[in-house]
Amino acid sequence: MLLGTLVYGFINSCILALVALGFNLTFGISGVANFAYGAIYIFSGFLTWILLNSLGLPYLLSVLISILCASCVGLAMYYLIIIRVKGLALSEVMATFGLGLAIMELFRYFDFVGFRYNLPVFFDGSVAIGDVYIDYQRLIIVLIAVGLTLWLYLFTHHTKIGLAFRAIAQDERTALTFGIDSDRIGALSMAFGAGLAAIAAIVILPLGTIAVEGGYEVLINALAVCIVGGLGSTVGILVASVLIGYAQTFTANYLEPHWMMLVSLIAIAVVLVVKPSGLFSHQKELEERI
Amino acid sequence: MLNVSNLMVFFENALALNDFSMEVKEGQIVGIVGSNSAGKTTLMNTLSGLIIDMRIKEKRRGGERITVYGKVVFNGEDITETKPNDRVKKGIVLCRERHPIFPESDVLENLKIAGYLKKASRVREMIDYVFNLFPALIDLKSKKAGFLSGGEQQMLAVGMALVARPTLLLLDEPLLGLSPMMQNLLVEAVKGLRNNSGITVLLSEQFARPVLPMIDYGYVLENGMLMLTGTGQELMDNPEIKAAYFGV
Repeated sequence: MLLGTLVYGFINSCILALVALGFNLTFGISGVANFAYGAIYIFSGFLTWILLNSLGLPYLLSVLISILCASCVGLAMYYLIIIRVKGLALSEVMATFGLGLAIMELFRYFDFVGFRYNLPVFFDGSVAIGDVYIDYQRLIIVLIAVGLTLWLYLFTHHTKIGLAFRAIAQDERTALTFGIDSDRIGALSMAFGAGLAAIAAIVILPLGTIAVEGGYEVLINALAVCIVGGLGSTVGILVASVLIGYAQTFTANYLEPHWMMLVSLIAIAVVLVVKPSGLFSHQKELEERI
Repeated sequence: MLNVSNLMVFFENALALNDFSMEVKEGQIVGIVGSNSAGKTTLMNTLSGLIIDMRIKEKRRGGERITVYGKVVFNGEDITETKPNDRVKKGIVLCRERHPIFPESDVLENLKIAGYLKKASRVREMIDYVFNLFPALIDLKSKKAGFLSGGEQQMLAVGMALVARPTLLLLDEPLLGLSPMMQNLLVEAVKGLRNNSGITVLLSEQFARPVLPMIDYGYVLENGMLMLTGTGQELMDNPEIKAAYFGV
């Protein structure tokens, strides 16, 4: 039981990290808390399902088109909405949250409800660690979470666009004096964030069904991880994912599974009361924010 | 090279620059001298295009806070409405006041970021040039810029501006907060830029004493208005300047 809890706690931590990476990336660079994040996650899931089942496209092609479309949604959101309210935190939250609600409720309105909306796993089968069985899809989630984290680090430290991301995150006005276009970088950060939400959706959703409510859950989990870790701090995000991931898994295994979501909500409430800027907010000043 | 005519900048109803005109010729070091609130930073932000960016972003949010009148011409082209990133492409690079560095990145990464618009090979060349100009930065290249001293940060800031390969380098109060020794080092470096690299420099400063001897031409600003102009020597000999800036 304990080994299983430890193994599945780690997998759950990877799922939370994967879900929070895109939200954190967008906030770290453009300073925009994208409350439509959960909606983009669900949009990517449904779009992949439609491409796969209604249009009969191959799975890989459906996945690639979904990631591309989600990134375009992020890009369009920036140029059509965010650009007009950037810097006005309350307006940003209202605009993104409103858009997210509209996207998710549109799916409900058009009857995207039921157990038939699910994505196939990438590979069937499982492996055993001791007496704990892990299906391949969960292993893929772990690999993609670790791989994306490494890729993000390399991208933001060793590419021109990545360095521009880091510059804008630290001091937008100084970045402008070196020819870095803050609007272009802001739009790219929204597109990357939305693309990461799509990747998370496509690897995580095969574990269950695609449901509108899942969008709200993803937003709450992303918020919980980012609030506990400290918005914009990658180290904080990873540590918070492990803390909340294990707390959720222990709750599910030793108390009641339906209390899992309570862990995220309690974590948000406790951190906001005790240290509103997040556990790693001080470190964020010293370490990289991306 | 740079012609500014009848420039007026308003922040809402406050007039920050009033009918200001100036000229910078290629290869010159030109100084803008003035006390606090004289309009030096507003002028530098206008020439670099930052004010245009601020105005665009303000307008998007429904505000109309910043108004710019007049004309800025660079190498024969009207750039009054040109965005800052396009001005950098044309060769106008601003080193902002108060050590404009990226504190969470190390020194080397700061220099790489500054070369955003340049090819990697050119950036490497310029980083070597900066390390030759400021050898003290070599041992600090892996240190986070936020942990450097004020003088080191200013060296880095000037170095970053150089990596962007300016033809016109704008330095906004580069001596602010530096020790006399560090001020001398920076003054010599700026002279070296003009003499060895042919970079035209426009610098603003409230400390007239170290600046006036090095400039080819100077403008004295007070409360957003042009009060005096002349060569560095003429300004140093002017009784009003002597009284206001040298306490003589």
